[in-house]
Amino acid sequence: VVSHVVAPAVELPPGTRRIIEVEGRSIGVFNVDGRYYALRNACPHQGAPLCLGSIGGTMVESRPGEYRWEREGEILRCPWHGWEFDLTDGKSVFNPHRTRVRSYQVSVRSPEHADPSVETFPVSVEAGVVVVDI
Amino acid sequence: MTQYVHERAKNGHVGAGSGIVDVDVHPVPRSAEEIKARMPMPWRDRYQGERRAFFNNPVHGTRLDSKPADGPAGSDPDLLRAQLIDEYGVSCAILISRTFCNIHPDPDYGIAIAGAFNEWLADTWLSEHNADGVFKGSITIAQQDPAAAVEEISRWASNPHFIQVTMDSGARIPFGQRYYYPIYEACERFGLPLSIHPGTEGMGINHQPTPGYPTHYIEWHCAMSLSFQAHLISLLTEGVFERFPGLKVVFVEGGVAWLAPLMWRLDSYWKALRAEIPWVRRPPSEYLFEHVRLGTQPLERPDNDAHFAQLLEMMDGERLLMFSSDYPHWDFDSPKRAFPHLSDRVRERIFSGNARDFYGLT
Repeated sequence: VVSHVVAPAVELPPGTRRIIEVEGRSIGVFNVDGRYYALRNACPHQGAPLCLGSIGGTMVESRPGEYRWEREGEILRCPWHGWEFDLTDGKSVFNPHRTRVRSYQVSVRSPEHADPSVETFPVSVEAGVVVVDI
Repeated sequence: MTQYVHERAKNGHVGAGSGIVDVDVHPVPRSAEEIKARMPMPWRDRYQGERRAFFNNPVHGTRLDSKPADGPAGSDPDLLRAQLIDEYGVSCAILISRTFCNIHPDPDYGIAIAGAFNEWLADTWLSEHNADGVFKGSITIAQQDPAAAVEEISRWASNPHFIQVTMDSGARIPFGQRYYYPIYEACERFGLPLSIHPGTEGMGINHQPTPGYPTHYIEWHCAMSLSFQAHLISLLTEGVFERFPGLKVVFVEGGVAWLAPLMWRLDSYWKALRAEIPWVRRPPSEYLFEHVRLGTQPLERPDNDAHFAQLLEMMDGERLLMFSSDYPHWDFDSPKRAFPHLSDRVRERIFSGNARDFYGLT
């Protein structure tokens, strides 16, 4: 596992995301209400830039005529065909066992604990940095 | 399938020997008088044996050799036995009356026609002409009034020779919608599959499933599978088989070749749009395989038999298809000649086994 600094935490506030290139891979890093997620930015369906998709909840399984909107902020929809993925683990909603996108650990660390990375950013010690482990 | 075999079937009172099961055969009254006699007033006075007004076959609508001397084609049980039952070794012919009851704006009239045909079928083909039990019947319903349709189903459900309900695919709204649910509830409760048969598309009060009316019979006839597709998509997406897990549906007389691409298309869209129909918990094709079957006639027959084999494989025809002849209509499929060569196993499933499982025939 190699840790890569994504950005100073202050530059990735809640409701934002950043697409980074790491080791030749495009990865989307998200801050949803203070929770951080990172997914490979390539939909397993037809290669769309998945991490440009919308974030919301979904209608979970229900009885006919019943509507249950849940998981707000945890579902990423592909910007092309609309396939839904769980931001927390990269699994698709329609077939979590077979269709999934790679997900990565994200954390906020103090700068001195972050490994030197392919990209470095000027950061303040107090703010911390967002780090993704590849 | 086993869990959907209903109680009636488990009791095993529906005998059918071991030969071919033909899931679409059309018995016809010798004259309108046989129906009128079973109608209350004022319908008895009104009914003239009317058929649909348009898109009649310009050549002939029934096999010319199926017409007895004293009545219309399909009206003589002995002739039908000679030409279908004995000729091909059919051990069970599932009879579907062509009543056209669902074209009428007046639901009471439609109900009266359906009821009279059911009584006629019970009195004739299912009893006096049925010593060996080879004929099984379909309870015709007028879908203009679902509550009355439920009454009609209840009226006949205990007759062991009625083994399914039938309604026409000519309709005003797609079959997945809740308007129809009382009918499905009754089918499920009585353990009766529902057979959907085309022929009243664009007639009377029913929509025509093309952008406007076609000009010719050939166009109209070829387009009949369009309403099947619309109804099937509706049934699957509205979650009808989640609401009625015991419901079984067979589409007869719309051919089969359209099914595989529709199935792929629906499964593919479901991956993206499942949140719109969250009650569809699994790929729609899974419900299809569990609950839906197709009658084979009029069977599409590519010039290259290898293509037909591929078609069967693509849709798992060995599991989904049930042979139907449509006797005595003009596009009758011969059990001997309609299909290219099939392996013994596939032939047994399509010509017998699938229908025996579906209807619980013993």
